[in-house]
Parts: sequence; structure tokens; C-alpha cells
Amino acid sequence: MADDIKVDVTMDLKGMKCPMPVVKVSQQIKKMAVNQVLVAETTDPGAQADFPSWARSSGNEIIKTETEGGVSKFYIKKLK
Amino acid sequence: MRDTLYYFIMVPMVYLAAAVFVAGLFFKFMNVMLSPRIKGRLGLFPRRLPRAAGVLKDAFALPPAFRKDKVFWALIIAFHVAFVLLALGHLELIREFAFLQIIPHQVFLGAGAVGIVLIAATLYFLFRRFRTPWREISVPEDFILLLVLFVTMIFGSHMHLAARYGIAGFDIPLEDYRAYLGGLVSFKPVIPDMIANSPHYIIIVIHIFFANLFIMLFPFSKMIHSVFAFSALSLKRK
Amino acid sequence: MEKEKISELRGLMKTRLNRPMRYYLDLCTRCGLCYDTCHVYQGIPKKEYSPVGRSEVVRRLFKKHFRLSGRLFPYWGDAAALDDAVMDDVYEAAFSCTGCRRCMVHCPFGIDIPHILSMAKLMLIGNGTAPEELVMLADMAVEKGESVEVFRDGFKENIRNLEKDVQQRLGLASSEGLIPMEKKGANILYVGLSGAHSIVHPAVIFNRAGENWTLSFFEGVNFGAFAGDPVKMDLIAKRIINEATELGVKEVVMVECGTAYRILKFLTGEHPFRVSSIVEVIHRYISEGKIKVRGGAISEPLTYHDPCQLGRNGGIFDEPREILAILALDYREMSPTREYNWCCGGGGGLVALDNEQFRIKSGKIKKDQIAATGAKIVVSACENCITQLGTIQTGYGLDVQVRSLTELVSENLDI
Repeated sequence: MADDIKVDVTMDLKGMKCPMPVVKVSQQIKKMAVNQVLVAETTDPGAQADFPSWARSSGNEIIKTETEGGVSKFYIKKLK
Repeated sequence: MRDTLYYFIMVPMVYLAAAVFVAGLFFKFMNVMLSPRIKGRLGLFPRRLPRAAGVLKDAFALPPAFRKDKVFWALIIAFHVAFVLLALGHLELIREFAFLQIIPHQVFLGAGAVGIVLIAATLYFLFRRFRTPWREISVPEDFILLLVLFVTMIFGSHMHLAARYGIAGFDIPLEDYRAYLGGLVSFKPVIPDMIANSPHYIIIVIHIFFANLFIMLFPFSKMIHSVFAFSALSLKRK
Repeated sequence: MEKEKISELRGLMKTRLNRPMRYYLDLCTRCGLCYDTCHVYQGIPKKEYSPVGRSEVVRRLFKKHFRLSGRLFPYWGDAAALDDAVMDDVYEAAFSCTGCRRCMVHCPFGIDIPHILSMAKLMLIGNGTAPEELVMLADMAVEKGESVEVFRDGFKENIRNLEKDVQQRLGLASSEGLIPMEKKGANILYVGLSGAHSIVHPAVIFNRAGENWTLSFFEGVNFGAFAGDPVKMDLIAKRIINEATELGVKEVVMVECGTAYRILKFLTGEHPFRVSSIVEVIHRYISEGKIKVRGGAISEPLTYHDPCQLGRNGGIFDEPREILAILALDYREMSPTREYNWCCGGGGGLVALDNEQFRIKSGKIKKDQIAATGAKIVVSACENCITQLGTIQTGYGLDVQVRSLTELVSENLDI
């Protein structure tokens, strides 16, 4: 469960226009320290493809994904 | 010394200018042709006319200028029409061309008006650049080319007006110009005595000097717009 | 700037010296007819934001580094050598430009200034000073093309969720197959964006029209093009081209996204399929009687903003107007309009950058234009435009609603 993950920042990105969710997360994660965790909440179906690809190309890690009632939560850990 | 300098400007420099002009245009043309094509199409919409007709309309009627600034547009058109008439006029200084005498006239065409129009338009283009915002977007080339044109045209116009309207002593007849330019064209250059001994020889020399300069600058300056405009306008409709 | 850097940047410039670039760089007479045709210049009247000012930044570098005359007599053409300060000007010129090409309409020679700026953008990538958001988004999009397997199931599961939304809107009993994916031999491959709205509304329309269609795994927008990286641009476009070819579709239909449409239709060569915008498809369905929209459904005054990449760069002017003529009782045209329409200021990837104040300022002429129509609803057909029109609306407190054409149609379908 999410209990064992310490979340540092939670971002509500629901209903944002393309490509803002990824841009906002990427800006936010720059301000964070290595190993901190950000949770991105989004309703974009494209986020399922965007966040994993973004994480791979930017050197971050998605440690967990939850989907509930159309809202997806991505737990992103800053690696570098 | 002076004679040598004058002769250099009147004969070898003319050949040099012609050679630079031809080689320069060829270089510019190859420069483009040897560059890679682009994969896509850069055209704009809408296209109300067939491509060729559209390119001709854009090139000769300048709709963007007409929409934006009617005075500027009128002077651009006047300048370019006069420039063509001027070129035809100089052809008649080489020899007689029957097709140019369809409307009988005394050489030059336009009885001096062509030169005046060109000078007026050139000055307008120049003075326009003295003002914001055109001053800020201009580079030295823009001013220098206009000045070279201006000087060439002032002296050329002087030669024509003085001869036509009988200013005292300016009596170089058409035949002597034809002997000079015809000689250049047929690679048997001569400078007729009527020209060489005229007190106004210096005026002809200055005119030829600046004309040579302009012709040499042509391929390597923005004057190349006279050629590349058609490439760009055609791409705009692809 | 070190010698190696200069020669690296020069090398990058050289890769962009294609035929049009050659003559565009040579033939500008600096007549100045374009100087105030840029919406940015209208909002911030600085030489650097005029089309000629922007292109001169590149032209001066070109003269210095590629022309003998520029090397021998830099005075003549005001040639400038590469250095760090110049690279700042290059950034300013390239990433304040939306690529709308309104200046090209006003150029007597038809010089494509954004094409010249594509050289500037590539130099910025080489210099490491390209906007990191755009580079990041381009990298993400390229990565996406290589790792479909990683997100395939998650993505499809999310699409199943959207199908329920589509089902509700259509009033159907089952949501089964309302958003088909990986359907071989479909007529249409529809390419959306990341947002649900870019998939749900078109899905409603496709289903209502009884279309044999399938949804793409990828988003239409091309951040490689925005960043100015021709290699990534091609890779990103190839994802869709390959998908369409593998599925054997007859037509690829692009979401309301000007760039996506223009790149696939005009900038990536010939394809074995037709490329259309969703706007054209809606128009086609209406003229063929496949869908019906409620006539006069909107009584408030309404105006249409031509997205630059659909309008003057794509030739789609009449279709949206004919659709809106049915929907709206009080349609008002902006002035100037169609190919002369002012860019909203959102194109070229600028909406993805942290530059809201700049975009509000550069959107001033658009704000004035909208206000002059007295319209209460502004419709457009491009996600970038809609985002930027929203920024203008809040930035100036404009009393209008910004709507997407596809959404309006989907909400006003005659069932």
C-alpha cells in the first residue's frame, strides 16, 4: 500500500491541457532532492504513456501507479 | 596617368564587371542548386490562382506592398518599370533595334522622364530608411547600394538631359555612344574622339565607374532578389 | 566562446543550408513591409520581435560564417560572429516566434521566416540553451515510440474507462468497442492528445457517424518540431506513420492540433494514406448526412479563431465556418481574418514554456480583435490556441468563453 511510501509533494493535474501535466511535474521535480517522491494525480488517459516514457528519458523512476475511478496516481521518485 | 585611369574604367573594368556579374550569378545559382532539397512543402494558403499565374502576380503586382503602403507600392512599381525602360534604352545605345522603334522615339525612351523617376524613387527609398523603424532594420549595404544607384543615375541622367536639351557644349552624338558600346560588345573596344576629347568625358567616366560597381555588387548583394524572388514565390505556392 | 563550440555551431548551421534557406537568406531586401505584421511586435514593439529583426539575427551570423564577403567586409552586411551574447539574441528571436507565418503572407518575396529560425533553433540545441521543457517533451515522445510495450496495457485500460464516458454521451446500453484500438484495416486512424477531451469527443462523433476507426497509441503534437530538432521531429512523426502503415488505414485524422496536422500533411513527405484534420472530417460527415448538429443551438455571439497551422498553413478556412454557420445564430468574423488573422501567441511550443507574462503581452492584438467582435464565445480548433486564448482571457479579464470546435459539435449532435 501507499503507506510505506513517504510522499513529499502531491500535484493535482486533473483536466489540464496538453502538455501541461508533464511540464509541471518536470518543473516541480527539479526543485526536489534526490530520492524524494512526487505524486501526480491526473485524469489524462495519455498520462499512462507519458509518465513512464518521461521517467525513462529523464532518469526518474515511477515506483508505483494506482488507478481509481478514472484518476491515475503516479508515484515518481527523483533519481538524479 | 589620367588617360590610363579613364581608359581602365571605360574598357577593362567594364569587361571585369561583366565577368564578375556572369560568374557571380552562376556561383549563386549553383550554390542553391547544389544544396539539398527540402522534404516537405512550405506553401501558404489560400491559392486562388494557378501556380504560375500566382507567381507572376506576386512578382510583378506586389500585392503585399499594395495592401500595406500604397505610396511605397507606387514607387516600387515606378522604380522597377523605369529600370526596365532604362535597360532597353541602353540597348539602343549599342545599336538600333527595330522592335524598340515600334513607337518611334528619339533615344532614350521617355525623353528624360525615366531617369527622373528613378532618381526620385531611389531618394524615396533612401530617405525612408532614415526613419524608425526602417533605420533600425537597415544595414550599410542598404544605404550604399542606393547611393551607388543614385550617383550612377544622376550622371547618366545628366548626360542624357544635357544632350537632348542642348546644354552648351554637350554635343556627344548617339553615333559615338554606339561606337563605344558597340565596340565593347563586339570585343573591339574603342573610345571615339568625340567622347575622349569632350570636356564632359569625366562625367561619362564617373557614370561608367559606378555602373560597373553596381553590376559587380549585383550577384553578391540583396540585388539577387531579382532572381531568387521567383524561387521563393514559387515555393510559397507549392 | 571557444573555437570548438563555434565550429560545432557552424556545422549545425550548415546542416540547415537547404535550397530555400539559401535563397531566403540571400534575397531579403529589408524593405520593412513585414516589420509590424508579427503579433509579438504589436504587443512589444521592439526590433527584435519584428520578422525582419528576427531573421537578421540569423542572417548576420550566416554572412560572417559562410560568406566570403561577410568575412572580408563584415561592415557591408553588418555580419556578426558567433559568441555567447549573440546566442542570447538567437534564443530571443527563435523562441518568441510561434511559427504562425503571418509575416510570410506579408512578405513581397514570400520568405518563410520560421524556416530561417529553424536554423536558430538547431543552433540553440547545439549550444545547450534550447528550452529544456521542449527538449524534455521531445525526448519523452521519442521514448514513447520505443516503449509501447511498457504502457500498452495501462493505456488501454484507461481507454476502457473513457468508453464509459462515450457510452453515456451517446446514451447506449454498452460501452463495448466504442473506442477501438489496434484495429487492422480500419478506415481511419485517429490521433489524439494526452487529455481525455481530445479522445472522448471525437469518439462520440465517430460512433455517431458509424465510422470504422481506431485510436492511435500516440499523441499528435510534435515537440521535436517545436524544439527545432529535425531528427526528433522525424522520429516522433514516424511513430504515427508506422502505426498507420502497419494497420493499413486509408486516412489518418489529426486531433485539433495545428502542428500535428501540418507536419504529417506537409512536412514529412508522401504517405500511403490521406491526412486530414478532425475539422475536415466533421465537415465531411455533416455534408454527407452522417451526423447532424442542432441548427442554431448557440444563440450567444460567437467568433472563430483560425489556428495558423490549419488556416494559412493548412488551407482549412471554410470547413469550420460552415460548421459554425449551422450551430451559431450570431456568427461574427474577426478582422483581419483568414490568412491575415493574427496569431494568438500560443504556437511553436510557447504555451509549454514558463512565459505567461510574455504571452499575455504578445496576445494583446488578439485580445483587441476578439473584443472588437463583441463575441461571448471564441471557438478554435487547436489545443495550443485554446490554451493561449484562455491565458489571454484570464490575463485581460476578457468576458468570453473559449471553446473547442470538436467539443461544441460533440455536445450539440442531433441524436
